[in-house]
Amino acid sequence: MQSIIERIEKEIAAWTPQEGAEEVGVVRAAGDGIAEIDGLSKAVLSEMVLFDPTFDRPLTEALKDPTPLYGLVLNLEEDSVRAVILGDASKVYEGMLVRRLGRLLSIPVGESLVGRVVNPLGEPVDGKGATGARVVRPIEREAYGVIDRAPVNAPLHTGIKAVDAMIPIGRGQRELVIGDRGTGKTSIAIDAILNQKNEPALTRPVCIYVAIGQKESKTAKIVAELSERGAMDYTIVVTASASASAALQFLAPFAGATIGEYFMEQGKDALVVYDDLSKQAVAYRQMSLLLRRPPGREAYPGDIFYLHSRLLERAAKLSKEKGGGSLTALPIIETQEGDVSAYIPTNVISITDGQIYLEADLFNKGQRPAINVGISVSRVGSAAQTKAMKKVSGKIKLELAQFRELEAFMQFSSDLDAETKKRINAGRRMTNVLNQPRGVPLPFEMQAAVIFAAANGYLDSFPPHEMSAIETKLQEYLTREAGGLLTAIRDSKEISEETETALRAALAAFISRHAEVA
Amino acid sequence: MIDTYTRMLETVAELADAPAADSAVHKLILHLRSAGRLRMLPQIVRELRKIAARKHALRPRVEVAHEKEATSALAAAAARGIEAPRALVNPALISGWRAQKAGILVDRSTKRALVDIYQNIIA
Repeated sequence: MQSIIERIEKEIAAWTPQEGAEEVGVVRAAGDGIAEIDGLSKAVLSEMVLFDPTFDRPLTEALKDPTPLYGLVLNLEEDSVRAVILGDASKVYEGMLVRRLGRLLSIPVGESLVGRVVNPLGEPVDGKGATGARVVRPIEREAYGVIDRAPVNAPLHTGIKAVDAMIPIGRGQRELVIGDRGTGKTSIAIDAILNQKNEPALTRPVCIYVAIGQKESKTAKIVAELSERGAMDYTIVVTASASASAALQFLAPFAGATIGEYFMEQGKDALVVYDDLSKQAVAYRQMSLLLRRPPGREAYPGDIFYLHSRLLERAAKLSKEKGGGSLTALPIIETQEGDVSAYIPTNVISITDGQIYLEADLFNKGQRPAINVGISVSRVGSAAQTKAMKKVSGKIKLELAQFRELEAFMQFSSDLDAETKKRINAGRRMTNVLNQPRGVPLPFEMQAAVIFAAANGYLDSFPPHEMSAIETKLQEYLTREAGGLLTAIRDSKEISEETETALRAALAAFISRHAEVA
Repeated sequence: MIDTYTRMLETVAELADAPAADSAVHKLILHLRSAGRLRMLPQIVRELRKIAARKHALRPRVEVAHEKEATSALAAAAARGIEAPRALVNPALISGWRAQKAGILVDRSTKRALVDIYQNIIA
């Protein structure tokens, strides 16, 4: 009690009346989460304003609901401004006083956010109390320029064999994950986050999962899975659920980027997943139409490309002078009926450094992840791929593409020559080796060893449909009998001649042992 | 177009006397009728109402908690560029005064002080 009294006395003693005048406006009209405000003639774009319910109410009523209600200025008009209301819009009424805050929309960032679930304003929503983050950063800022950047040269392993081998992602890259609903887009992102546990703590990226317009139950499930697997120790979740206002859904990715940038500027690596930008585009379209901005193609506003490009340009690998940190972005886009030529998908495809395309047909055939390797590409990742992975995965993509062609041809002909049959079996075997259930990311050294075995014919004696079981046994065998070999690959990031000889011996021993058991 | 007509009427209302303003309105109606644009008239009225509401909301205003504070409050507000013909009594201020004009607010009321202290404590 004494401390409370002291605190109040301290505040009273410290209080001084504001000397200058402040700029205010008056709400002329409010509805659909948008307020039209008279006054505020000097307000700037993206500035925060405070809707003040205490101004025209008696003190006792004014203190009943002390939660501040903020707005974001998005339209500057001749005599008024329009702002989106960041909170309960039903509390804003005609004639309400609005104060300029003189700062751009900012959120608190810092190490203390790790392990927390926050909304796009940085407020905790996990019931664990205040985040304690003290550093405040504006959520909109210009991306780093050419001079401040360095080439992408370090890999970010997702733990997914198909991705790390054929569509490698580098730290600082922007790789789009695109596909229809229910084809495993989120699973790839979550596996990538889970796999960071396999990275040494020193170089482990801080992961930020941004859920935009997702069901609360889905986000809760993801948070539970991350917590259960120990991934929340290095992960932050930013959520603007389907029930959140369009403004919050529009802001969520920017909040995620701001948090990621904080870690990047500390010289660390960060990975941010935007799940998904289609929903953000829809939220922005809703807001723009309510703000009476002219609609363009598919009723999206004219600056929808700029919305995504300015967000994704913030992913970067910084130069040594800037600390050498990186921010990798994995934006997710949902397509309709596999149509990648729609407006938003083509926009984001052209902005990013490659895409992982997931196909519903492959998913229905049982391929996991259902990646169409033909149109999936990583434009900068190969420069960041480890020598070990490069060595083992060199020809896989081409061989799989040839296999797909032969497979299509096979549908019309049952009489195949021995060479074609051999190629088809090899393709099936490799496809099955690259199959991987969700939630089981593999460390890159294990991936390299398994793909080495498949690519060098060590698994040719097994029928393609047994690949999954054989691979599991091989992994167990290598962990048990060739731990040193795996460590050597992990540490050196390459398969030297010496390591290759040892690996070949280990694989030969595994094959012979397995044949004996069989 | 609507905006231009509205601005014209607003300027006339500000600068001219009542008969001149009436005459301007009459001439505008004749013009709109001859141009076949009479349907614009309700929209022009709506815009004029908006302007009037804005002017009302942003008019110079001085409020005091007690009648006895009026003179000093009007003088203090005038010193800050806010000149109002009279002060309104608003007991919700508890004590002190506040003045507002065209998007500028100077608040020297006890209510504001208490709200600030309360918000600093609970923040």
